[in-house]
Amino acid sequence: MKALQDLFYRLLGFLLVFALAAMCVMVFGNVVLRYGFNQSLVVSEEMARFFFVWMTFVGAVLTFRENAHIGIETLVQRLSRKGRLVCMFMANIVVMVCGAVFAMGAWEQHDINATMFAPVTGLSLAWVYGIGMFTGAGVFLIALGRVWDVVTGKVTEEEIARFAGEYHNEEIMDAVREVSK
Amino acid sequence: MTLLIFIVALLAAMAIGTPVAFSLMFCSLVLMFHLDMFDTQIVAQQMVTGANTFTLLAIPFFLLAGELMNAGGLSRRIIDFALACVGHIRGGLGIVAILAAVIMASLSGSAAADSAALAAILIPMMREAGYNVPRAAGLMAAGGVIAPVLPPSLAFIIFGVAANVSISKLFMAGIAPGLMMAIALLITWLILCGKMDVKPLPRADMKTRLRASGRAAWALGMPVIILGGIRFGIVTPTEAAVVAAVYALFVGVCVYRELKLKDLYHVLLKAAKTTSVVMFLVAAALVTAWLITAADIPGELGELISPLIERPKLLMFTIMVLVLIIGTALDLAPTILILTPVLMPVVMQAGIDPIYFGVMFVMNTCISLLTPPVGVVLNVVSGVAKVPLGKVIWGVAPFLFAQIFVMFLLVLFPQLVMVPLGWLY
Amino acid sequence: DFKTRNIRLSNGLAPDHPVADGVKAFNACLSEKSGGKTKITAYWSGSLGDDIQAVQALRSGVQEAVIPSSSPLVGLVPALGVFDLPFLFESEAQADAVLDGEFGEFINKKFEEVGIINLAYWENGFRQVSNSKHPVTKWEDMEGLKIRVMQNNIFLDTFQNMGANASPMAFSEIFSALETKAIDAQENPYVTIDTSKFYEVQKYVSATNHAYTPFLVLFSKRIFDRYSPEEQAALRECAQVGGAKQREVQRDLSVRSLAAIKAAGLEVNELSTEEKQRMREKAQVVYDKHTPTIGADVVARVQESIRASREAAK
Ligand code: NA
Ligand code: NA
Repeated sequence: MKALQDLFYRLLGFLLVFALAAMCVMVFGNVVLRYGFNQSLVVSEEMARFFFVWMTFVGAVLTFRENAHIGIETLVQRLSRKGRLVCMFMANIVVMVCGAVFAMGAWEQHDINATMFAPVTGLSLAWVYGIGMFTGAGVFLIALGRVWDVVTGKVTEEEIARFAGEYHNEEIMDAVREVSK
Repeated sequence: MTLLIFIVALLAAMAIGTPVAFSLMFCSLVLMFHLDMFDTQIVAQQMVTGANTFTLLAIPFFLLAGELMNAGGLSRRIIDFALACVGHIRGGLGIVAILAAVIMASLSGSAAADSAALAAILIPMMREAGYNVPRAAGLMAAGGVIAPVLPPSLAFIIFGVAANVSISKLFMAGIAPGLMMAIALLITWLILCGKMDVKPLPRADMKTRLRASGRAAWALGMPVIILGGIRFGIVTPTEAAVVAAVYALFVGVCVYRELKLKDLYHVLLKAAKTTSVVMFLVAAALVTAWLITAADIPGELGELISPLIERPKLLMFTIMVLVLIIGTALDLAPTILILTPVLMPVVMQAGIDPIYFGVMFVMNTCISLLTPPVGVVLNVVSGVAKVPLGKVIWGVAPFLFAQIFVMFLLVLFPQLVMVPLGWLY
Repeated sequence: DFKTRNIRLSNGLAPDHPVADGVKAFNACLSEKSGGKTKITAYWSGSLGDDIQAVQALRSGVQEAVIPSSSPLVGLVPALGVFDLPFLFESEAQADAVLDGEFGEFINKKFEEVGIINLAYWENGFRQVSNSKHPVTKWEDMEGLKIRVMQNNIFLDTFQNMGANASPMAFSEIFSALETKAIDAQENPYVTIDTSKFYEVQKYVSATNHAYTPFLVLFSKRIFDRYSPEEQAALRECAQVGGAKQREVQRDLSVRSLAAIKAAGLEVNELSTEEKQRMREKAQVVYDKHTPTIGADVVARVQESIRASREAAK
């Protein structure tokens, strides 16, 4: 189960990389076309935007799993373990509500988006706006898992520390290692 | 009343540790209930629409350029270059930090990354040379926050999109204030380091200097490409960002040969993840912005401060103080995203130039990265320099006041922003 | 039977555009008919989101009204592409006759099918080409001009067909792109060329009248259906009242804008009748290419309506 989950998130990571690389190629390609060949590929502006949307909302799930979203942990950090658990419980309930609303809204709007088409590519906007169902459901399930862990007492100390933002600077430290190597 | 409900819901959600993006979504839900217009479709539609904006594509591209710059060895060569140039002067390592901060700021838009890179390389050297380490750490933090004021800047991109103002123009308008912040730091540093007993570095000979300049030349070419390209209309800000990324990739792989193609996957993944964190926040904030506008909260606020509409300078002063206070508890991106839709209508009504306002507002939120209790750059520098947070706060204080001083100087004399902008644009 | 209603009406225009005069008249009329119960709150300059976004909000019943131009909505109602076709209308009077007549009704029905009520057609004005290179008086003059157009396939094809290098770009970037010579030309109505100060960075304007894309006063059908018949009738009638005012102010301003453009030192070029006819003939390939997507019946109908209005004018 754990292995399957890891594989799934690795796949999401791959999608992010692919989307970003594709955006670069499309936008940079258009600059080259314009100055090199006095032409422009109209499709690229629209497609790049759609890739951007997918990257943002697929990435939102992955980063939520990694506790990477910006939060203000000043208060939570000062609480006892018990206080932190209560906050963790409540905060994840809030996230569950938000995720559910996002997914439901995207579901309700599906017909309206399915009948609106992008001006250049002619792609149905359901492909773009439908991503809300994935992201909403994704964060809902992750938050549900955390609530479950808190309630059943299965939550690890590492998870609690992460919630309180005590591992915040990992990314920055990565950057530092690169600079000073 | 609506204003109050909005603030309380937001603060309550954030206080219990809900990520800011979800707190914003939550306070949107509360607002919808309060306004009796609950509809999940508002959330679904506005979230995605927020990300479906071509201009915002500059964010992943500039983030990627920044990652490539660090991974490809560009940042380090910039610091080496600054060391060779001014390292030997009294208090030289501090001046190196400021010079390097300015150059790095004109390549990247991230205060945290710049401060981290500066601190990682320079703090050990400064500790060795006998500098007051907390003071030095404070300087790195204050130097880093110049990044979002000097172009390119994610903060200007986000503000430009939220306020519907030309990003190219904001970029150009940020140059003079960014340099003024650097000068203020320099003066403060020179005053402070007079009291420190340090041994200066040996003067680099001409050969070393030339070699360092030659190595850094490729990196120094990047701001020319970005700013020149935008200024002369060759590329839009979004395109400038992608050109910068491709350039950094080229230099890192082909010139410096430090970036292996297999590292590229991780660099892309990191940039993509950071983008989705920023963009998800932007998306959530735009839902709130839509509700703020639909509920006419700016109107409510406008009535509160209507006596000030006739006196733009006083209004500006009040707003700056307000943002400074809010900035102690909120960081850059959330502050810009939450306050722009609220403040812009009032600012426009008072006849304040939106570009000028944008520069001042962004500068203020950058300064807020240095104010406790919530100041990301403080935490970063504390972590990298291995100095306790409390000492970093003490160390940064004089620089923080210098930058606040510059800010209020610009409130008093808007010409200091607008006249140089006239020369550049 | 009127209830207290607040109609949120958004659009992407500045609050000093003639559409604002129309909205004011629209609001005054509604207020009078409802005894002050119905009120319009207008959101300008896209502060409530762009037009496509607003249209989707209308369809889901989240927002009441929006005034977009027809072009961005072809992805929803393909028939609207008919207004993007080059050199379709010859005069404002002709456009009025077709839009306020049977063809306008026909398009309104298409809107109802996707959950939107079109209350009225307002005026955006004929679009004209301006550039910084040379006078454009004939088809060949467009060759090689770097021109910004709206992101719309028919517009792109129209100008590419003329041999121009057409590229889409956000409206807010046009001025600096013209100023820095990243592009040579743009196409917009006189009022826009004037109010956006494009005359500061352009040398020539040609009265090409190459497109007339109307403004639409759209209302959410979901919300409309909840209103009483009296309220519905008042909305329809007052949108027309507002439209009359808007067209009047718009046309007056268009004349003044043209004068201001001339006063700013721009050379204004007219196209000869023969050249206009030639351009229309050469543009036929664009018609042929896009008729299938717009709908053959739609194109035939509009041409029939135009013929009828031409007859009536004689
Ligand atoms: Na910068
Ligand atoms: Na702060």
